[in-house]
Amino acid sequence: MSREEYKRYFEILEINPDASLFEIKNAYMRLKKFYSSESMVLAPITEEFPKKKRREILKQIEEAYSKLIALLENEHESVFFEEPSVSDDVPEERKAESISFSGPVLRQIREKLGIQLHEVTLDTKIRVENLENIESEKFESLPPEPYLKGHIKTYASFLLLNPNKVAEDYLKRYKEWKEKHSNE
Amino acid sequence: MKKLSKAKEGEIWAIGGGKGGTGKTFVTSCMGTYLAEKGNRVVLIDVDIGGANLHSFFGINRPIKTLTNFFEDGLPLKELTVKTGIDNMRLITGDIHSMASDSIKFTQKLKLFRHIMKLNTQYVLIDLGGGSHNNTLDTFLMADKMIAVLVPEIIAVENMYHFIKNALFRKVRMSLRAYGFREIVEHIWERRTRYKIKNLKELIDWLKDSFSYIGDILEKELAGFKIYLILNKVRSPDDIFIGASMKSVFVKYLGIDTDFVGYIEYDDSVWRSIRSCQPFMIHYSSSRCTEEIEDFTENLINGKEIRLLRP
Repeated sequence: MSREEYKRYFEILEINPDASLFEIKNAYMRLKKFYSSESMVLAPITEEFPKKKRREILKQIEEAYSKLIALLENEHESVFFEEPSVSDDVPEERKAESISFSGPVLRQIREKLGIQLHEVTLDTKIRVENLENIESEKFESLPPEPYLKGHIKTYASFLLLNPNKVAEDYLKRYKEWKEKHSNE
Repeated sequence: MKKLSKAKEGEIWAIGGGKGGTGKTFVTSCMGTYLAEKGNRVVLIDVDIGGANLHSFFGINRPIKTLTNFFEDGLPLKELTVKTGIDNMRLITGDIHSMASDSIKFTQKLKLFRHIMKLNTQYVLIDLGGGSHNNTLDTFLMADKMIAVLVPEIIAVENMYHFIKNALFRKVRMSLRAYGFREIVEHIWERRTRYKIKNLKELIDWLKDSFSYIGDILEKELAGFKIYLILNKVRSPDDIFIGASMKSVFVKYLGIDTDFVGYIEYDDSVWRSIRSCQPFMIHYSSSRCTEEIEDFTENLINGKEIRLLRP
């Protein structure tokens, strides 16, 4: 991602480049909600500002958000501000896919978003100790697999991640642990 | 219309927004009080055509000498200023009768602005009142900061669009006129069906695309066109969303640079203070509204936006 692109994504989300991850997420959810709903702010200009135009804007918002999040998730791999010539070799999407979502990665993302565990509980109804155990991978204390899968997916959605991908990654680690454990 | 005050240290803020009753005068009086309390020299100018009543917000009588004396008798502005009861802050009042719409010529307005800049103050706050008359629009466009006050109601939202679009349309017209294109905007607009132009945004885009030199002019002239949005009478967190949404449409649809600087909660203490003709910021200094007003005035000074803590 070049600096220009980086700047443009922030412009689309209407925030400054010094915004925290929490603000990025906030701006994304706010704009998405606004442009996909009927609002009194849009009512007086429905004719001159048609749905088609709104859909274009929504697309840009999605793109800006997913690119920024992918970038920030990869921050520890120091891919920040790679020159276009370098990033041509490894497309952004592939980088994003190459992450495996473990408990510590989920914690890292949550902390970058500036969200406390109890706030996750408020929204997802997953108990704090369960979230703690998920993040620290205390597999022995986790609920049975079907429940766990549900929790992981809910938590992943809350963190605006792909729930299926996260659940797949996490349960793979869980199953490996279980297999090892049953053999002992 | 050029911004006039680049050479001096003071700043002119104009407070408008289309609809009456959104709290423009209240906001003006409060921002002025806060700026003066911080030690700035402040002059408030009330040009509300329909009802100049800024003086009531400080519990003082309507000033006898008004802007009419400036326009008709050539009295210097200094002689029109009256005390507000707050240190560092004085007030000038317009006049209902002679300031009827379009009774003041453009050259007179320029003269007024030149004299405003000589007032040796740090902040001049102009309360525009409602409506989208040319007089109001010109004053708005000449200010350093164009501040618009909105309330979360559909009529206010509609009037805000009307006001901002009119301001932008006038800015485009006057800018091109200044470069010798006398009637081009009117000419194209009147034939808009032929050019398949549906709205102001498309008109501006059409002008930019069709003539690259016009594009350059508009690029330059509209660079300083920035709206500072204040939301008043907020009753719920969802209401705050309306301020942010309005900003978003200004930016994404009309292409207007906009800062949503802050909001004021709905609070009965506001009308109590207005009814008793007491300066709000002094008598309700610990109110949440006071804090909110201080916050967005600081944002205006520092060029910052409000931080929205929930989506």
